[in-house]
Amino acid sequence: MIEKELLIINQHGLHARPAAKLVKLASQFKSDVYFIYQGSKINAKSIMGIMMLAVEKGAKIAVQINGEDEEKLMRAIENLLNSGFEELV
Amino acid sequence: MGRKKSREIVLKGIPVSPGIALGKAVFIKQDIMKPERLIVSPDDIDNEIDRLEKAVEITREDISKTRSRASKNMGEIVSRIFDAHMMILEDDVFFNEVKNKIRNERFAADFALFHEMSKTYNSLLSKQQEYFRERAEDIRDVGIRLLSNIYGKSNGTIIHGDEPVIIIARMLTPSEVVQMNRSLILGVMTDIGGMTSHIAILTRALEAPAVVGLKKVSMYHDRVNMAVVNGNSGKVVLNPSEKSVEEYIDKRRRYIEFYDRLENIKDLPCETIDGHRISLEANIELPHEVEAVKSHGAEGIGLFRTEYLYLLRNEFPDEDEQYREYRKIVEAMKDKPVTIRTFDLGGDKTTEGLEIGREANPFMGLRAIRIALAEPELLKKQMRAILRASAHGKVKMMFPLVTGISEYRKIKRIISQVKRELKQNNINFDEDIEIGVMIEVPSAVIMAPELAREVDFFSIGTNDLIQFTLAVDRGNAMVAHMFKNLHPAILRMIKMTVEAGHKRGIEVSMCGEMAGDPLATLILLGLGIDRLSVSPIVLPEIKKIVRSTIFADAKEFADRVIKMKTHDEIRKASMELMKRKFADLPIWFTNQGNH
Repeated sequence: MIEKELLIINQHGLHARPAAKLVKLASQFKSDVYFIYQGSKINAKSIMGIMMLAVEKGAKIAVQINGEDEEKLMRAIENLLNSGFEELV
Repeated sequence: MGRKKSREIVLKGIPVSPGIALGKAVFIKQDIMKPERLIVSPDDIDNEIDRLEKAVEITREDISKTRSRASKNMGEIVSRIFDAHMMILEDDVFFNEVKNKIRNERFAADFALFHEMSKTYNSLLSKQQEYFRERAEDIRDVGIRLLSNIYGKSNGTIIHGDEPVIIIARMLTPSEVVQMNRSLILGVMTDIGGMTSHIAILTRALEAPAVVGLKKVSMYHDRVNMAVVNGNSGKVVLNPSEKSVEEYIDKRRRYIEFYDRLENIKDLPCETIDGHRISLEANIELPHEVEAVKSHGAEGIGLFRTEYLYLLRNEFPDEDEQYREYRKIVEAMKDKPVTIRTFDLGGDKTTEGLEIGREANPFMGLRAIRIALAEPELLKKQMRAILRASAHGKVKMMFPLVTGISEYRKIKRIISQVKRELKQNNINFDEDIEIGVMIEVPSAVIMAPELAREVDFFSIGTNDLIQFTLAVDRGNAMVAHMFKNLHPAILRMIKMTVEAGHKRGIEVSMCGEMAGDPLATLILLGLGIDRLSVSPIVLPEIKKIVRSTIFADAKEFADRVIKMKTHDEIRKASMELMKRKFADLPIWFTNQGNH
């Protein structure tokens, strides 16, 4: 299992569309992935879960991944988050 | 309507409001954003999961149709809104969690879904940022679609037209029942509910035959044209055959005839053959029920449930408005006593607008007098309105869910203060107004000897007293059968309360559902209860029982049953005696004693 703290930089935080993109991305991988934010831990393959976290811009979330392709998934998530979900204004 | 001949379907539920109705059936959709906490029995789990899955499937089709319509009429950008909705529907992690809630917690499908969706919805709504709050609306939108598909598509939420109908619903909340035009309600049938649910109290108040706890009746709604509700036996017949229709018309005629005969005793006092007199009063929720109270020969109003003034609109009426409503009732009753109970909210009665958070155990939470003491301004307003109304007739003031002396003393202090203020402003009221408490918590029974020194009267509230004494949640289908009003522990509690009251010379009445249960009447009479307050509709039946009894016999019977060790023994003894003495009472073609 690997864990990393990642910064959310896109303008509106993890709202519906970024959440949808994250779920789509995570679902392509076999590993289990969890986001931990402000005491809540949710399954990142669930859009309802990610939306429940309602992570704002500038917040840091802990990403916990466990499974055979955990390294690849972590890189993919990092890339997506760093890209600002292609919505940087 | 009625294009093809539909098959007759007979279902059996719990009869909660007597009478027989036959008519056109309509389906009422729920206030879908607020499903109640429903626990289903283990047998129903698969059914609930099936319901959920079907609803997701139908919702998927609905959203896809909406999306293509939006795309065509409003452009691709707008239609993308629905992609997010679709993603929610495809969230397997989420729906597995909902199913776990059904499987493990036995939540009904609608409540499980609502429970899980609320987590995300509330979290988003709690955010400062507009864009998160807007996302909450997406959740709500999908939630509404899903819930309405769980309940089944319908023609609408209200009764259209002016033809009286029989209502089919998964469940009805007090506010929904209250808002219906009573003259259009022939009868009611619901999936959910029990003998002591609010729907029972309300349908009785409306004198509409009702059967609840039918489990699946709402699933048939789109195949039903006509229906029969037998609120005496608990049977409902969907699409009745000609033969069934005739049979029910005959039953209805016999039932009405029985009540017509009772008309003769309407104006006679409620006293035993040997002259022991008790007072027989009526419970009401709404001011317009005063007519029914009078026409059934009640000697007063033993319980006016003021909270319905609030439940009608989810907003507290101001002092003047309350005063006008109370005064109307007091004047309509002339000099007959009207016992006004302060707001009994919380528990299963919604408290929107009150700052009550989610409670794990609402029946033991912030409710009734606890809300009033937490919000003394609200309480004072209501006290002032009641006191002002007391200038126009005979008014008593009563407080719900008092657990002991200190609460009562707090109440007394506030009353004294309010009285002082009224006097300073030269506003008239009855200075000797009687102040009483509901005895509906075991601690109040135990403290009754002390309470009796300080209050003017007791009124036993049986629903809560039974719930707390037997530790049974009457809304939980798995334990509801343990809710037994003739349990020896309950009878002993009543006896203790009556004795404590009489020792200090105060009256002890009962205004709970048990007061209107014919199987309990002789026992209560024998235990020495001074006053019974019941639904107007059962009033003649109770009076007939009292008037046909010798008080000494009732005392002897009560002495005998209170020594019995189980509810079943007591019930059996009561059944046997009643059957022998009162062969013609409706109780024998009702299933009233079934709970």
